[in-house]
Amino acid sequence: MYITDLKCISSQQTYTDHFINGELNEIKEKTYLASEPNYLDFIPKGLLRRMGKAVRMGIGTGLPLVKKHDNIDGILIGTANGGLEDCIKFLNQIVEYDEGTLTPTNFVQSTPNAVAGLLALMGKNQSYNITYTNGGTSFENTLLDALLLFEENNAKKLLVGGLEEISDYNYNIDFLADKYKTELISTKDLLQSSTKGTICGEGANMFILEKEADKYLAQIIDIEQITYPTKEDLSLLLNQLLDRQKLSLEDISSIMLGYNGDKNHNTWYDFVGNDLLPDTDLYTFKQFVGDYRTVSSFGVWLSAQILNNSISSKHSVLIRKGKNKSTTSKKYHLIYNHFDAVRHGFILLSN
Amino acid sequence: MGKVYITGLGVISAIGNDVQSCFNTLNSAKTGIGKAHFFHSKYTDSLLFGEVNLNNDQLVSLTDSSHEEGLTRTTLLAYKAFQEAIKSADLSEEEISSFKTGFISSSTVGGMSNTDELYADANLKGEPSEFVKSYGGGEHVLRIIKKYGIKGFTSTINTACSSSVNAIMLGARLIKSGRLDRVIVGGTDSLAKYTVNGFNSLMILSDEFCQPFDERRKGLNLGEGAGFLVLESDRVVKKTSTVGEVLGYGNANDAYHPSATSPEANGPRLAMKRALENAHISEKEIDYINAHGTGTVNNDETELFAFQKTFTKIPPYNSTKSYTGHTLAASGAIESIFSLISLNENTLFPSLNCSNPIGKNNEAPISKVIQKEMKIVMSNSFGFGGNCSSVIFKKTT
Repeated sequence: MYITDLKCISSQQTYTDHFINGELNEIKEKTYLASEPNYLDFIPKGLLRRMGKAVRMGIGTGLPLVKKHDNIDGILIGTANGGLEDCIKFLNQIVEYDEGTLTPTNFVQSTPNAVAGLLALMGKNQSYNITYTNGGTSFENTLLDALLLFEENNAKKLLVGGLEEISDYNYNIDFLADKYKTELISTKDLLQSSTKGTICGEGANMFILEKEADKYLAQIIDIEQITYPTKEDLSLLLNQLLDRQKLSLEDISSIMLGYNGDKNHNTWYDFVGNDLLPDTDLYTFKQFVGDYRTVSSFGVWLSAQILNNSISSKHSVLIRKGKNKSTTSKKYHLIYNHFDAVRHGFILLSN
Repeated sequence: MGKVYITGLGVISAIGNDVQSCFNTLNSAKTGIGKAHFFHSKYTDSLLFGEVNLNNDQLVSLTDSSHEEGLTRTTLLAYKAFQEAIKSADLSEEEISSFKTGFISSSTVGGMSNTDELYADANLKGEPSEFVKSYGGGEHVLRIIKKYGIKGFTSTINTACSSSVNAIMLGARLIKSGRLDRVIVGGTDSLAKYTVNGFNSLMILSDEFCQPFDERRKGLNLGEGAGFLVLESDRVVKKTSTVGEVLGYGNANDAYHPSATSPEANGPRLAMKRALENAHISEKEIDYINAHGTGTVNNDETELFAFQKTFTKIPPYNSTKSYTGHTLAASGAIESIFSLISLNENTLFPSLNCSNPIGKNNEAPISKVIQKEMKIVMSNSFGFGGNCSSVIFKKTT
């Protein structure tokens, strides 16, 4: 399947071309908040006012694509938490008003399928519609589903996306669970950090995927995922993916790894980058956006820009130059990411 | 394309803690809805609930999980139904941990069933609770993966009340594609202040027994439970007799309103149409429908309209939510299991509390226990966000 169009909201200026043209937002805050566009250009004011951040970022990236492309055969969204801000606002009402008379807006918006549902509603799209809430591989779930829909001849064109918001509340809960750093660290230094925890980011990444395309940014070839693996499991899984595509480790010319500045997480990336695939070009991506459960969707967004040679050389994305050289013009690019060393995913792309 | 067989079932709901006891209650036409004993809320006394008749300690002991911390009721219900499903499918440890065995579940409330602890943790009130890592929608999935050593594809779906039908659908598709040989699919949800207050704020909860498809229906009763089905490919199935075959499925979005179905019932009609097309059968071949039938004014009216538009003669139908209450993400799996019970027992169970049916001229739901030879049945689930799904099962014995 081919990425033919895309939209991204992140802590960088990715909604416009400023980021790919070389501009960098250097952030040194407790969280890396998204740089949001002016939604009023395409979302009515009354509607926008009632939207939580996850919904607004999802609609902000998804709606322009749904409006621009005809005949979308499915809307597939991955989000670990959906509109958690709305969710806890509603929860706070329950507790603080002692289960009194509450307003339903927060409740309806807090359901993680609100974005896919609203995109269908606003885009008048009655096709296949699904939301995956599988933590750190929610976005990988959507890609596999898309791959199946194309294989089954049930779709020619799909909208697929991953999104997550930072709310004070989910930040608090994950902070209590030791996921984040206690010190401030800037985006540019994040990956060099030697302490535990990462910095929480947020964003929405939406893609138009097509079964066949003449012009495209990148091809997504295959996906694998596993939960609580051993390193041996991870290696078997990668080989299973490559076998299915009749490829070997030597065919991979570049990898993108989810290093996030958490000293406890590096071992997994070191294993894939140094032990399994030592001779590839190596890219990283969380130095721009921090970490969140569906951040691999930003990895795919950035990979598509890299494979399409559209990203400015001012950005330091290439960490290591490898020996593996593609003998043809076809380059295979592998993204490996995990969240909190629990759910791990591989996404294989090509130019 | 190969066939997808159902080789095991596990269920827990207000009408029973396993498949056999649910069958017994359905067969005696007795509801499980009533006063809640374990769910504590301002509404405990004023509303009726489909509560599972076990407290958390009993669930812990039935699922050998006393050594685990931070277990939510959502997870405990899932443990119980999952345990029964894999036992009835006779899966070995090796089969469960094969790369070719998947697990796809669903939940809407997830670990948020612990509403009060979540409130304290999210607002940094005091020390972190033991549930601080347990609030995610996929929490029960992670727990089951760990408990049973699952290595294959896993997923959590949340399309609100249609979630577990989509889990069945994805599981069947992954088997047909050859990526999986077997997959356990379903969903779980427990009663929670979160959902009770949410549905209450939308004013769609009834303070009486829900009356699906009745003129005087006032809304739904919330329930809780879990259901899992073991699906196996014809390439690997060992059993000589299976529970049924997943024959077809359809998913559509109503694209009308965040929390109501369109008057034209476009989503429900498309979901059923796509399921029939996917199953390669005519509407005349459906012997029974387990309706979504929540008992809200909007759902039952639009679902009946969708039946009228889809079927030349509406097949016998009921809403088993009149027994269990609305179990949200679990409802699709639980009601699929009830449909399979009906199919294999050749028994139709009455829809309860429907004395003035909205469907006139032979379009009323099933009113008494009826023996009927059946081959193919359908189960519907529709949810907020316009998410509509329908699944079709075929008898294999």
